Amino acid sequence: MTDMVSPTPLRTPAEDTLLRRFPAEKAALPGNDTVRSLRDEAFAGFAAAGLPHRRVEAWKYTDLRANVRAIAPAAPAADIARVGALPSAVPGDNARRLVVANGRFVPELSDVAELPAGVTVGSLADALASGDPLVLGALSKVPQAEENVAVQLNAAFMTDGVVILVADGLSLDRPIEIAHIADGETAVSTHVRNVVIAGAGANLTVIETIESVFRAAHQSNIVTDIVVGDEAHVDHIRLQLEPDDALSLTAVTATIGAKARFETFNAVLGAGLARAQVFARFAGREAVGGFRGATLLSGRRHADTTLVLTHDAEACESRELYKAVIDDEAKSVFQGRINVPAHAQKTDARMMTASLLLSEGAEANAKPELEIFADDVQCGHGATCGALDDDLLFYMLARGIPKAEAEKMLILAYLGEAIDEVENEAVRETLIHRVEDWLARRVAG
Amino acid sequence: MLEIRNLHARIGDREILRGIDLVVKPGEVHAIMGPNGSGKSTLSYILAGKDDYEVTEGDILFNGESILEMEPNERATAGLFLAFQYPIEIPGVASMTFLRAALNAKRKANGEAEITTPEFMRVVKEASAKLNISPDMLKRPVNVGFSGGEKKRNEVLQMALLEPKVAILDETDSGLDIDALKVVAEGVNALRSPDRAFVVITHYQRLLDHIVPDIVHVLSAGRIVQTGGKELAFDLEKNGYAAYVSDAA
Repeated sequence: MTDMVSPTPLRTPAEDTLLRRFPAEKAALPGNDTVRSLRDEAFAGFAAAGLPHRRVEAWKYTDLRANVRAIAPAAPAADIARVGALPSAVPGDNARRLVVANGRFVPELSDVAELPAGVTVGSLADALASGDPLVLGALSKVPQAEENVAVQLNAAFMTDGVVILVADGLSLDRPIEIAHIADGETAVSTHVRNVVIAGAGANLTVIETIESVFRAAHQSNIVTDIVVGDEAHVDHIRLQLEPDDALSLTAVTATIGAKARFETFNAVLGAGLARAQVFARFAGREAVGGFRGATLLSGRRHADTTLVLTHDAEACESRELYKAVIDDEAKSVFQGRINVPAHAQKTDARMMTASLLLSEGAEANAKPELEIFADDVQCGHGATCGALDDDLLFYMLARGIPKAEAEKMLILAYLGEAIDEVENEAVRETLIHRVEDWLARRVAG
Repeated sequence: MLEIRNLHARIGDREILRGIDLVVKPGEVHAIMGPNGSGKSTLSYILAGKDDYEVTEGDILFNGESILEMEPNERATAGLFLAFQYPIEIPGVASMTFLRAALNAKRKANGEAEITTPEFMRVVKEASAKLNISPDMLKRPVNVGFSGGEKKRNEVLQMALLEPKVAILDETDSGLDIDALKVVAEGVNALRSPDRAFVVITHYQRLLDHIVPDIVHVLSAGRIVQTGGKELAFDLEKNGYAAYVSDAA
């Protein structure tokens, strides 16, 4: 048998556009020499591999090469009046709201007055321009993040975002909301990078929302790097509310210190094609992490949640719970990987994913993976997939509750297990309202 | 009020009901007794509208109209109530939310406005106190973590709140100790009225000491093979179902 010569793959129009855009745009992107070489290196990673496709294991179920036909032009500056008119997507959260519109931090629309002593809020572009070592040191320093193509594209093209620094021991009573808003009547693409650094013993809640002024097929790539200091507590919540035909690539990276607590919850409520990634590393012993999410899918939408969690220290505890509700011809993907190297003894990790299929054509793919080298650990994973229980439905119908309402109650109950873990009440209520809206639209057909 | 005419039904290829005739008038309490597998639970599910069964012949009239084409929730809001033999646990759905949804569904079907919160709290408090149902129980999700007795009391609570015209009690005595049985029976007796009828399905005569029927039927192999007064239940308790089982075979 002769060696097969693997053919040089043809570049897709989307890949061509990216290959053309980077050299043309990079000079105008913010950053000192260190940042410029970081961008070059990240882009080289993409240029060598192209957009990931189904033969790349990590992207098997979410083939960007086949599904991203064209790259939208880089977003121009947003119309501040239009963006400013958009109300918070989380009413009642009493948050300090920071606006990132079309990939640029907009201080004039952001609540940055009278920040408590010890809190710094700034623009990522400024930090890149000055080469702030604290910020550069926080960029995706988590296993498997830097070599991830979506993160690489973000690193190459990132324009701006917010940087939040919270001093040691400081507890913020108001959450910080980062509102990512795309403004364009036609599709625009954005690459946003946020950095959140919580000092030792600090305590804060960060809420991210991803929205748009017009319902165009925007393309967003948003990465948020979070450093949780020793004994700090960071609650991170993200609501993805993109238009139905948007492309949404998001990633959260987290480095979690000793005895710290980190919680992240991701609600995927929008986008035609979404890949929401979490890369987390327990860097110090006895830390606790909660990784949860809810995905609602209808039509022909596709949403992928990919989690890579590395227990890199002893005696850390993690809980993972991701739930999806899938209707019509929609498709959900969950990939959850937990790495437990030999030195991470006493690890306690439990991962659960569940999919509720509401139609014959709905599809759920679940791929839990545990890689364990330590011998004194408790690790488990589970995946379930099924339809609404007929016996439960019949019991509710037999009490007079109409079918649509009974289904709604059961779906809310099903998602509730994940949503109830969100500590912030305003976020929880927003989530429940969004789920109810989605269910109402579903019934209305 | 409720009239079952020559009802035949099957599940898959198996014929379970083979021609049932039954007329229930307002104010009456009918008991249906019979051995295991005679079709008692099937009959209750078919009345409530469970779609696992196929009615092949006959009809069910409720207030003079056929209900065979009605959805289970339409039957319920029209005034038919089934107390389940095995009440279902609904994780994540709060008991109060469930009760309120059921009450409002009935009100909506009757063209009434939704119940107000104070009114709802009042009626639930009143009805649950009579059944020894603690407020803590109602803070839990529907039937989740309830004991067998608590589940049955919860069924009677729902019945009390929904005020049906016809209530079918499917083996409401199963799994109950004697004290729980008394509470449940008292709850049912409190709802007896000249406008309301009950069909009490049971395997044992024990329940009928507490809920005294007007008419007792023996169901065997999918047919009513004997009908009589309450004394029939005592005969059955003494002599068993053997005579009827062989008759039907």
